[in-house]
Amino acid sequence: MLENYLKIAFKVFQRRKFFTFISLFGISFTLLVLMVAVAFLDHFFGAFPPETKLDRSLGVYALRMSGPHSIWTANPGYQFLDRYVRPLTSAEKVSIHSEPVKVCSWKDGQRVSLYLKRTDGEFWQILEFRFLEGGPFTPEDERSANFVAVINEATRTKLLGGSAALGKSIEVDGQRFRVVGVVPNVPFFRMGPFSDIWVPISTSKSDAYKREMMGGFGATILARTRSDLPAIRREFSSRIEHAEPPDPKNYDRVESGAETFFESFAREILNSKVGEDRSTALLGILCGIAVLFMVLPTLNLVNVNVSRILERTPEIGVRKAFGASRRTLVGQFVIENVVLCLVGGAIGFVLSFLVLRMISASGLIPYAEFHVNYRIFLYGLAVATFFGVFSGVLPAWRMARLHPVEALRGRAR
Amino acid sequence: MIGHLFKMVWNRKRANALVAIEIGIAFLVLFAVVSLTAWSAGNYRRPLGFTWQNILNVKINARSSSDDTWGPDLVETTRRLVQAAREFPEVEGVAATLSPPYAFNNNLGGFTHAGRSFECSLNEGTDNFKDLMGLSLVSGRWFTEEDNGANFKPIVINEALARLLFGADNPLGKRLREPAEGEREERVVGVISDFRRAGEFSGAEYVVFYRANLDDSRANLDDPGARPPRNLLVRLKPGTPRAFEERLAGKLQSVAREYSFEVSPLSELRETMSMFRRAPIVAAGVVAAFLMLMVGLGLTGVLWQNVTQRTKEIGLRRAKGATQTDIHVLVLGELFVITSIGIVLGAVVALQLPLLGLLGTVGGKVYAISFGVSIVILYSLTMLCGLYPSALAARIQPAEALHYE
Repeated sequence: MLENYLKIAFKVFQRRKFFTFISLFGISFTLLVLMVAVAFLDHFFGAFPPETKLDRSLGVYALRMSGPHSIWTANPGYQFLDRYVRPLTSAEKVSIHSEPVKVCSWKDGQRVSLYLKRTDGEFWQILEFRFLEGGPFTPEDERSANFVAVINEATRTKLLGGSAALGKSIEVDGQRFRVVGVVPNVPFFRMGPFSDIWVPISTSKSDAYKREMMGGFGATILARTRSDLPAIRREFSSRIEHAEPPDPKNYDRVESGAETFFESFAREILNSKVGEDRSTALLGILCGIAVLFMVLPTLNLVNVNVSRILERTPEIGVRKAFGASRRTLVGQFVIENVVLCLVGGAIGFVLSFLVLRMISASGLIPYAEFHVNYRIFLYGLAVATFFGVFSGVLPAWRMARLHPVEALRGRAR
Repeated sequence: MIGHLFKMVWNRKRANALVAIEIGIAFLVLFAVVSLTAWSAGNYRRPLGFTWQNILNVKINARSSSDDTWGPDLVETTRRLVQAAREFPEVEGVAATLSPPYAFNNNLGGFTHAGRSFECSLNEGTDNFKDLMGLSLVSGRWFTEEDNGANFKPIVINEALARLLFGADNPLGKRLREPAEGEREERVVGVISDFRRAGEFSGAEYVVFYRANLDDSRANLDDPGARPPRNLLVRLKPGTPRAFEERLAGKLQSVAREYSFEVSPLSELRETMSMFRRAPIVAAGVVAAFLMLMVGLGLTGVLWQNVTQRTKEIGLRRAKGATQTDIHVLVLGELFVITSIGIVLGAVVALQLPLLGLLGTVGGKVYAISFGVSIVILYSLTMLCGLYPSALAARIQPAEALHYE
């Protein structure tokens, strides 16, 4: 039976090529846009190396101090993190690291702009970097302020011409470091791990950072299991309740929160207060946009299908006259549509593969590698099937209601 | 005639309703993208208020004071850095500022003036900042040495802020807010045309400049809100090679060992900024264009099928004396009616924005223009889609209708 439906379906597709083209164009284009959007979201928030433990990680990304006259929001300073985040007992590990700072290096008179991040040794234990050469520096390196550096592939090419870098020394920002490890490039928007060069915090040019409450640093907290996350959030909140602002005359309140990266992103983009969780709101907005975007292609497909099916009134008449039930007819049309949508889905899949390759190659976002992964493909398949069923049912239902006599005469309203 | 068209549309109301809804949603999509484009284009055409050619920005990462306010040592070091940079023969001038053009961060401050709250971009500049950046004064003056030891804090604001607060009145000598206990009064000494830091694509912003005085380190020490200028703007002689950047950075590094310096030409920062601003507009435009193409193709298909189905009716009309033009008018007229219904549906939704007061910084003019442009584009699109089907319909011979079935 199914085989017959499929045969009929392909004959129908070939008969009215223009309609088939319109449907395929609509479906594949819609899927393309959705899959590129999902690939972007995945690129921002998905768990892939080095952030493989994202599901049990939290971060402290922002600090807000407020007083009667002024409000100051920035990322936290080393002293704050050292005092209130490092001692968290419910966490497995805590890492403190600076935000990446753009620094200059010079090669043959040409300026090479690189990002430099200062981290502790725990950073390399929480994040799982795949090392191309050598390995990470250790907590011991950080304690004794060894001038060692881990660099990414791009830096190896820019500063050392791509040859083996281990043990060589590089000069960055007026300081000299010995390379102990080389890792693959980390995309720009992975705020936690991103940088070009990673060096121990203690190699900073002055130790003033140790006395700063505000600015320049962030922390990553690793929980033992996922279920520990609420406890960590609670412990952190209760710890900072009594935190003392450095300048009590101007500020009397300190607020912060341990949040997932998505939560911190939602807070930033929705412009809400530090410590507020707006991730559900952002998720709602994103889903809303996706649904709104899909309404137009769906309606378009429904309209095309209504027209397309009208043309087959005589066929429906014959089928009905020979006893086909309404359900059988609806089933047939829906299957036809699903097949068409799956073909469109396949085209969309190939297109999104090409477009993502193009965006990756364009260098719009430094080190971004967009992939069509199997998960995105499954989303795409689900969306295509949804399209097929949704856009097929309404017209099919209407046509299947026709009286056989009317249908045989080719009249449909 | 119109009545007849409506009747024809009404007779096939179910199928037409779907098409009208589709056109309505297409209108909304089009309207959103056209507004975004019109807004950006409007911004692009407004003057920047400064020049960016032949200027290097040197970002100073000091990280040496714990409360991020002016300290005598910080001011002294910054002053020495300025001096060191001035010694190069390639350098025409060096100014210092808090937030340079084309930087992604911003210092916002909330003000309340005469019961009205508003947000301003706060910035600082040295006395030579205005000439170095090529700002244009509308009235009053920029900061000068005569501000040394004045009993008020001089500020310079942009024209938009002056208009917002003081309307047609002369803003000079007025203040933005009541001074807090023990604070010096802030007084407007000049109005500049604009300083659109975020670049060509940015929207309107209110700007307040404070004076950064590197010669007198005590001048700002009593002011906890003021921050040291963390960027040097270095104007170079035209044609200075890029290699100069390394020499400049080396020299600055030798003056302040503990600092980090990030040297980049404003032209480069400008490129990055405009790429970031352009990307979403281009993406939205491409997606919208494809959506419109899809709607157009779908509509053509629907109309084509519609015409084929109505062979008998149209043939009959021809037999009864309707000309080819009449048939064209019939098909396109029906389409026009459906499109209008769709646009009305979309417009009802779009009109909620100004009714709910959600226009924000976009402004009524951009809104109105986008509304008109979207309507024109949508009518043109649907009429274009109707051309081929209506030509098919006009070609139908009366004879065909007679031996139809």
